[in-house]
Amino acid sequence: MTTVHQFVPALLPRDATGDHTIALRDTFRAVGWTSDIYVEAAHDELMSEATYFERYPDRACPGDILLYQASTGSPVAEFLMERTEVLVLDYHNITPPTFYEGWEDHTAEKVALARTQVAALAARAALGIADSAFNAAELTAFGCPATEVVPILADIDAWGSPDMVDQDEQVRLGRSRGNATTLLFVGRLSPNKCQHQLVQTLWLYRRWYDPMARLRLVGPAMTRSYARSVLSFAAELGLADAVDHGEQLTPAQLAAWYADSDVFVCLSEHEGFCIPLLEAMHFDLPIVAYAAGAVPETLGGAGVLLDSKRPSEVAAAIHRVVTDATLVRRLGQAGRHRLGSFTSGHVRARFVAVLGALDAAQMAVR
Amino acid sequence: MPAVTPSEPEMASTGPDAPIDAAVVDGETEGSPVQLDAVGRARYLAEVMEEIDAEVRRRRASGDLPPGLERELDEMFLEFSPLGLQGKARLRETLALVDGSAYVDISVPVASQKKAGVYIKRLIRKSMGWYIGFIVHQLVKFAWSVSRMLHVVVDHVEVLESTIDALRPPELPAGSATVGDPGTAWWAEHARASLSATRGRVLHGECGNGSLVGLLVSAGVDAYGVDPAELMIEPAVDQGLDIRSESMLDHLEVVADEALDGIVLSGSLQWLHANERDRLIRMATGRLAIGGTLVLHSSTPEAWDRGVTALVADLAPGRPLHAETWTHLLSGLGVSTRAVHVGGDDRRLQRLDPSVPGADTVNAAVEVLNELLLGPGEFLLIAVRDR
Repeated sequence: MTTVHQFVPALLPRDATGDHTIALRDTFRAVGWTSDIYVEAAHDELMSEATYFERYPDRACPGDILLYQASTGSPVAEFLMERTEVLVLDYHNITPPTFYEGWEDHTAEKVALARTQVAALAARAALGIADSAFNAAELTAFGCPATEVVPILADIDAWGSPDMVDQDEQVRLGRSRGNATTLLFVGRLSPNKCQHQLVQTLWLYRRWYDPMARLRLVGPAMTRSYARSVLSFAAELGLADAVDHGEQLTPAQLAAWYADSDVFVCLSEHEGFCIPLLEAMHFDLPIVAYAAGAVPETLGGAGVLLDSKRPSEVAAAIHRVVTDATLVRRLGQAGRHRLGSFTSGHVRARFVAVLGALDAAQMAVR
Repeated sequence: MPAVTPSEPEMASTGPDAPIDAAVVDGETEGSPVQLDAVGRARYLAEVMEEIDAEVRRRRASGDLPPGLERELDEMFLEFSPLGLQGKARLRETLALVDGSAYVDISVPVASQKKAGVYIKRLIRKSMGWYIGFIVHQLVKFAWSVSRMLHVVVDHVEVLESTIDALRPPELPAGSATVGDPGTAWWAEHARASLSATRGRVLHGECGNGSLVGLLVSAGVDAYGVDPAELMIEPAVDQGLDIRSESMLDHLEVVADEALDGIVLSGSLQWLHANERDRLIRMATGRLAIGGTLVLHSSTPEAWDRGVTALVADLAPGRPLHAETWTHLLSGLGVSTRAVHVGGDDRRLQRLDPSVPGADTVNAAVEVLNELLLGPGEFLLIAVRDR
């Protein structure tokens, strides 16, 4: 019987990697495979779902496939380096340290270590699974002998229908914006996400097109110094009241932020996949995005893709999107179609096919 | 600005490449046979991008986007970034931070809300003092060594900066360089002929009044230009030509590698400082697609003083290169010269008829004079990127 055990540094609720790991475990079990989750740490809510990785040696069986969810540095990676079982990397990308240098040097060191670990594991892995071709290319550069592109398990069905939004939140947002054009970006406040360039764009957009326009930034201020700088910069430009920052939103509140905005704008320099693009498609929000990292492939033509992020170019693109109903309809149609490629059924089937084939190949060798 | 064509990962059978029936789009084209497959969608988005680009050009031309505004916005944000990202201007301030943090205080605070807490903390501090003190002493010694070394480095950097400042040529007053009409120049026809077969975009750097861009466009070439002189490009912009008000270096910064099928370099390229000239030519050749054509116009070194104003002749940071030198430099960048045309102001002296007494002596002198001082005024080099 096929056995695929997953190893993950931390199992957290309402976290993309955590959700992905649990959904995969359920998928493997549903097809009759043996599958458990081993962690360095788990949130109290999920303790019953996981086992500490140090306990794995007592349970190891010949033929086990170990699937490592690589998203941060961890002693789990060191542990797996010493194991002799077949190793598969599921790579969700680790932001290069250069983005944090100067902003948060300890984070730069942390991600540098994490990337070193991934590089070491990649060279020893039998297979690397990446959620985008962009990530697969990184794995190959790390020395991974073979890669497969399988998207992250984003549980689109669980996002609910566009009608299922927090109505109170939507009313509150609607009151605060009035008739202003409203730009939205969802993602942690971090230098690689370039929220400061969204502020620059907003400033020019207000000057050119709509003096009341607003920018909504949703996401935790992971890099505190950068978040402070972005908000201070906005204040310096006279935009303190025009930039809203939402942290700790419930899924229904987040849905309200999507539903009450006019355009999703992404100017990230580095994205390994970018789930918020799928969320924007789900809520029929037109997308204007800078072509960096995995953004072009995730977007798949369902948005206006820019090869420059000069505020003038971005502002003009936003204006075009919010004033052209035909374009919005066509982007919405393309978005819904694109979203169909990421439904959990497709992704689950791909994971089972890829790992099943690997298991069969290993059996043949044995 | 060309739209980026995304590469889509191989997905399940209902992937994004499957045709979409436009009739189902919210009734937008109900009953229409038009279908938007991936190609149609990409074409449609490319048209949208062209219109967005035109809107930006219109804004620039109307003065809504003053030159340098976007750079000012970037510089403004840097003011809010940590000192380490703000560049050498803050070197001394950053060094002061290092000095300040090089001292480690071993007098650990003992304040506590409980009386016993103060006592216990004081006891720990006293009993551990000899141990912590020994470690901290070495740490502080190391930190001060690093700090001293940084002071030495900063001192050297400042000396170097002042030396470089002293060597920097004076700035040319605005408008001191004369600008011709490239569309009617002797080399325009050569440029057009070498670029007429290109299919992708062709950029003319320092395009002046845009007349060469106009000539290329009328020949069916997808040409556009950049020039920092806003007033000069205005008439061309009004005529609907794609001319942007920015420097060639600024523009090339945002162009993707291998995105252009042709580049025309003229104007101040010939008298840029060697560093800037190298940077420009490296960027330009990098932006050129394999098989793309580079057209380079320059004065000859012999005619340099003749072709420019006195201010430019005296104060320009660089001097023109020979066509052979350009050929050598470009070959190192994977670009090979295919043709060199000479033209422009030619003041070569005529040779005497050999039958005239003493003609041999005079003609020998004429040869020397022609070669050293009076050769053809300009050349046009046409090259192709091979790799």
